[in-house]
Amino acid sequence: MSVEQNTDLIPLKVHGVLVDPNTDTQIVVLRDETNADVLPIWVGTAEGTSIRLALEDVVPPRPMSHDLITSFIDHLGMTVSHIVVTDVKNNTYFATIHFTSNGLERTVDARPSDAIAVALRAKCPIYVTSDVLKRRGGDNLDAWLAKLDPQQFGQSETSEA
Amino acid sequence: MITQMNVRGLLFDPYNNAYIVILRDEENSDMLPIWVGKSEASAISFALESISPPRPMTHDLMKSILDNVDAKVLSAVVTDLKDNTYFAKIHLWYGDSEYSIDSRPSDAIALALRAEAPIFTTEEVLRKQNSEELERWLENLKPEDFGKFET
Repeated sequence: MSVEQNTDLIPLKVHGVLVDPNTDTQIVVLRDETNADVLPIWVGTAEGTSIRLALEDVVPPRPMSHDLITSFIDHLGMTVSHIVVTDVKNNTYFATIHFTSNGLERTVDARPSDAIAVALRAKCPIYVTSDVLKRRGGDNLDAWLAKLDPQQFGQSETSEA
Repeated sequence: MITQMNVRGLLFDPYNNAYIVILRDEENSDMLPIWVGKSEASAISFALESISPPRPMTHDLMKSILDNVDAKVLSAVVTDLKDNTYFAKIHLWYGDSEYSIDSRPSDAIALALRAEAPIFTTEEVLRKQNSEELERWLENLKPEDFGKFET
């Protein structure tokens, strides 16, 4: 099933990574291309940092974990074609990394943070299913964040975050 | 000449707010202390305790990508020590070729543990490490005794 035939996928761009100084958490802000919808996803420090490094095109002196994943993919002649944030259940987001190897399309299950960190390095598209965006997206990040009670966990990657 | 090493410990270093992975050879005569960050220490700790988190963490993803294409992790080797930085390589078997991929030791160790692949180091690394004042480090972690960082 190619991306073009599936009208269920909404392309997103990583708008930025917010850092909450009080907790150890970071928020990856995804926006659709019209900037109409916002999808914030809570991630851990290491993942948030990895995404920020990729956004800023910073190459660290030694390969970090996601650089290593990218290195495996390159060395083994594989290509990441796209990633999809596929579902959200009980505050946990799910994602899939689509890649090709030897002409065959393959997928692996991943957390959205890892998938996004890899996608940015691979410079490949990031999608969300329209269902997830409808369920969890907002139309205004500030209003969405303001509504958030600091005691209450937002949509996070893992239920243990 | 390479020596097989095992992960013998994972400590917290309060002076540097970092973690130390202790590698030892089979006879417990040689030791490599490798400073790593929190998330790498977590990844190594989970593997050591065979903890399977509900969602795949970064090194689980690394392994699952390799499994997906039938690439085997042959070994992780700590290959060099320069300016307080350790270097490592991950050896993979894929298709009918061997690949050698530059890596930080923490990632190499975290992956090797998940793949149940051996961890090695070279005689040169052990020699370089031993020539640092190891005994003093062992007795007394002092703030000025900067350890070996990964980056």
